[in-house]
Amino acid sequence: MYVYDPPYNKMRSAEVLDCHVLVVGSGGAGVRAAIEASGYGETILVSKTLTGKGGCTTMAEGGYNAVLREQDSCEIHFEDTMKGGAYLNDPELVHILVDEAPKRIGDLLHWGAVFDVTDCCEVAQRPFGGQRFPRTCYAGDRTGHEMMATLVERLAGADVDVMNEVTVLDLLKDGDRVIGAVGLNERSELVAVRADSTVLATGGGTRMYDISTNSSSGTGDGFAIGYRAGAELIDMEMVQFHPTGAVYPYDARGRLITEAVRGEGGILKNSLGERFMSRYDPERMELSTRDVVSRAIATEILEGRCTPHGGVYLDVTHLPRQQIEEKLPVMLEQFLKFGVDIRDEPMEVAPTAHHMMGGLRITRNGETTIPGLFACGEVTGGVHGANRLGGNALADTQVFGKRAGEAAGKAGKKTGRIDQGAMDAQETRLSAFFEGEVPPSTVARSLRTAMWEGAGIFRTAKGLEKTLGVITHLSSLPLKAAGQSNLAECCILQNMLITASLVVRGALIRKESRGAHVRKDVTQAWDPQTSPYGHSYQSLTRSGIETVVKA
Amino acid sequence: MNVKVQRYDPDQDEKPHFQTYLVEVNEGARVLHVLHAIHDEIDPTLSYRWCCGSGQCGSCAVRVNGEPVLACMEEARDGMTVEPLKLPVKKDLIVDLEPALEALSHLEPGDKPAMPSKEEVELIKPLRSCIGCLACISVCPAMDVTSFAGPTAMRQNLRLALDPRDSKDRVTDAVTKGLFTCTSCQACWKVCPKDIQLPGKAIEKLRSLANKKGLTLPRHQEVAKLVRETGRSVTRTEPTFMEQVGEVIEPYGPVKATVGFFVGCMYNQRLPKTALDAMEVLRRNGIRVIIPKEQVCCGSPLIRTGQWDFLDTLKRRNIDAFAFRDIDTVLTMCAGCGSTLKNDYKTPFRVMDINELLTRYGIEPPARLPLKATYHDPCHLMRGQGIRDLPRELITQVVDLVEMPAICCGSGGGVRSGVPEEAAALAEKRREEIEKTGADIVISSCPFCEFHIMEHTDRPVKNVTTLLLEGYREKDKKKAEKAV
Repeated sequence: MYVYDPPYNKMRSAEVLDCHVLVVGSGGAGVRAAIEASGYGETILVSKTLTGKGGCTTMAEGGYNAVLREQDSCEIHFEDTMKGGAYLNDPELVHILVDEAPKRIGDLLHWGAVFDVTDCCEVAQRPFGGQRFPRTCYAGDRTGHEMMATLVERLAGADVDVMNEVTVLDLLKDGDRVIGAVGLNERSELVAVRADSTVLATGGGTRMYDISTNSSSGTGDGFAIGYRAGAELIDMEMVQFHPTGAVYPYDARGRLITEAVRGEGGILKNSLGERFMSRYDPERMELSTRDVVSRAIATEILEGRCTPHGGVYLDVTHLPRQQIEEKLPVMLEQFLKFGVDIRDEPMEVAPTAHHMMGGLRITRNGETTIPGLFACGEVTGGVHGANRLGGNALADTQVFGKRAGEAAGKAGKKTGRIDQGAMDAQETRLSAFFEGEVPPSTVARSLRTAMWEGAGIFRTAKGLEKTLGVITHLSSLPLKAAGQSNLAECCILQNMLITASLVVRGALIRKESRGAHVRKDVTQAWDPQTSPYGHSYQSLTRSGIETVVKA
Repeated sequence: MNVKVQRYDPDQDEKPHFQTYLVEVNEGARVLHVLHAIHDEIDPTLSYRWCCGSGQCGSCAVRVNGEPVLACMEEARDGMTVEPLKLPVKKDLIVDLEPALEALSHLEPGDKPAMPSKEEVELIKPLRSCIGCLACISVCPAMDVTSFAGPTAMRQNLRLALDPRDSKDRVTDAVTKGLFTCTSCQACWKVCPKDIQLPGKAIEKLRSLANKKGLTLPRHQEVAKLVRETGRSVTRTEPTFMEQVGEVIEPYGPVKATVGFFVGCMYNQRLPKTALDAMEVLRRNGIRVIIPKEQVCCGSPLIRTGQWDFLDTLKRRNIDAFAFRDIDTVLTMCAGCGSTLKNDYKTPFRVMDINELLTRYGIEPPARLPLKATYHDPCHLMRGQGIRDLPRELITQVVDLVEMPAICCGSGGGVRSGVPEEAAALAEKRREEIEKTGADIVISSCPFCEFHIMEHTDRPVKNVTTLLLEGYREKDKKKAEKAV
């Protein structure tokens, strides 16, 4: 094994590994991709956390959408998804999602997943927002955890080298082609992996917002890493605000309250006791799509009809206690810890930044716009359009995780050489942090506030410009690493800043309200189906918005 | 708030040290938010692991004031001490979780796997909520002294054994991974953030599956044979307690309460003297005691070792013995019997441990003895019945008490008979703790603990009630001296 000797900092040395497929990310999509890729050659999975613990899949509570019953059909799932996504979705990707979601849940069941079942031994399904059939499969309200447990078990049985607690800093390239990645291990040593194919499965990034459901790893690394490597990203302005995040305790604000609460029959009320959804979507009420419910709640709060902690009430006290205990055990346990028994008292909730619908542009096989780089899961764009249906993200991780892993595995052997200059550049980048002045935590706090204020649920060009100004300023500050263990934090913060700027720029580019993206300063004469706009796109070399020629 | 945090950087520090921080957090903040505040505002070099922040990933388990908790769920308190779990520390609060997580078995599907039925799903589900925080492993006493893969490994093996999709023999595998080394001390269950009842729902169940495969340890089989033949789990070495007393023991003074006494095998067959001491204490304190002579072993030794076929007979005989006499309160003084009657039986009567009974009705004050004592918490009393403070209330009326950490002595779960070298190693650790306290005597409230610890320490080991009785005798003696 070649050991790289860095010129700048003799404290660190880079370990260089070699494999066929490198998967970056250890959530549902990454692990699924690695399992699939391992059938084609040596596979390395790099995780910023401990595999199975990081990412947002393990936190996903509500469920996994799949057409499993005769009364349901993939065509209806397709229509629901397109309509929910305000027709910005890539139809080809949606077809694949709905067609293959049942097969992929089949894989999980084959590998030992323990979903709730009906008396007839079929996987049980519950209703979720924006869907005309109850097609959300679940394991109580710990569905994602069940999936991750299953995937991690399967991964243990697969021939995959797992590198835990390694933070990927950048992709490595040979010419136009991605040939692996360079990262920092837990001891802050550089690690380089050369790979024939690389799969980015780094998940989302809504931790750039003050209030977010995301885990510590939701820092948008993949968007930034892909962007820096030259990949094109689409629809980055499309950020889903989940309607129901916790508002108390303050330091844990944003914590996800699953849509399953409403799926099981939970109702929303304002401080006047009004079931206000009747004013916003009288037909679907609480089970409207997330963009609609979030805006409704935000409006109630803005207009002063809010609870003592600044939210609205989400109430399940009318449901049988046993149903709450069996179907929502995690919610019950979490709220009990915070002093609220949801069997007897309503929850207080408010919208929270949740999911990135936009991301790297991919083909049906997860190929990005640069050779050698594949992507799957939340880091990609196009599947969910302008608003994701609850239950479609878990399905996305499995369907496109498998596809990207398979395509990366099937891609041929490539010879690529790690460029000494690129490694030296990383060394220089890291060394500079020891000379920096501003702690990353300070910058992160400013970023989160600016994003929440200027690029939140309701947006205007003025607010977006202001936030972009803040991001530009923050990006110019010399970040300071107080010790070796802070180097990764500095790099991650730079990723957050880039991803945030992509969101804001996308929001400025898209001069319409659509799905989760609302421009209060734009009046438009079209609805989503007749919108003249397609994907917004951004890369190092171009940015803009596609215009649609309607037939 | 003020917090004390253990810091350790293997590159710089020889050993861990504590650092105190003053931080500001909002009302209702969790321990994790305090760590964030230290990291963001005071010292960015503080390392700790966290991911989901909502109790679902198991990354952030730490010890707060000695007890393992999830930092993201535990409310922060002023003056708290935060330490890493008792696992190999990598830096500050970060411990090495990977070896134990990687060692967990994974499902290997057969050729034509059948989907689990709804009933099977319901059995497996409680075992699936494990988030891999490894708090259980960090507190397991057996893992310190013997080769045992640990509580969550057993949970995973049972989960696979119950799943028709899995193709491997998980029960035999569990036996080789130390299934019979668990002392059923329940420390793992009590620290589990998901409240998975590991000894009761995983380990004992696996042991019952092992029993069906003929893998029960020979010594445990002998115990089961003895119970079946004699109704008792141990042989007698002297006249039994029940042979020495009548069916009713009247108190000296007015009757404050009447209870039925469930004696248990150990106090009846091996330590009748201790039970007689307890009766004397009850007589002095107005408790009328009824002792149905047809009572038998509670079944605990069979439950803990997975030998479940004879249980229903024992349970019926015991319940009938007390129910027939219209007894509404049954007294236990064996921690194991008490825990079993409370948790494994459905009784038509209330079950009370002797510490509960005496503190409920109040006792005649004993004289103080010029001794320093330490108290060993019986697992089946402290964790099995949640009784921790009551024996201390009694003990401190007689002697000064010096605390020691509450750790299993090694006598439970069939380990004393089945894996004696492990039981001895755990008792040896008890001996070390006892010596550290400098106590003159050791007090406990469980015949198994008393009997086992006696063999490993040179200090006298006494039951709480024996100590009380000695306090009374001292009182009587002083009174007699005064009279003279």
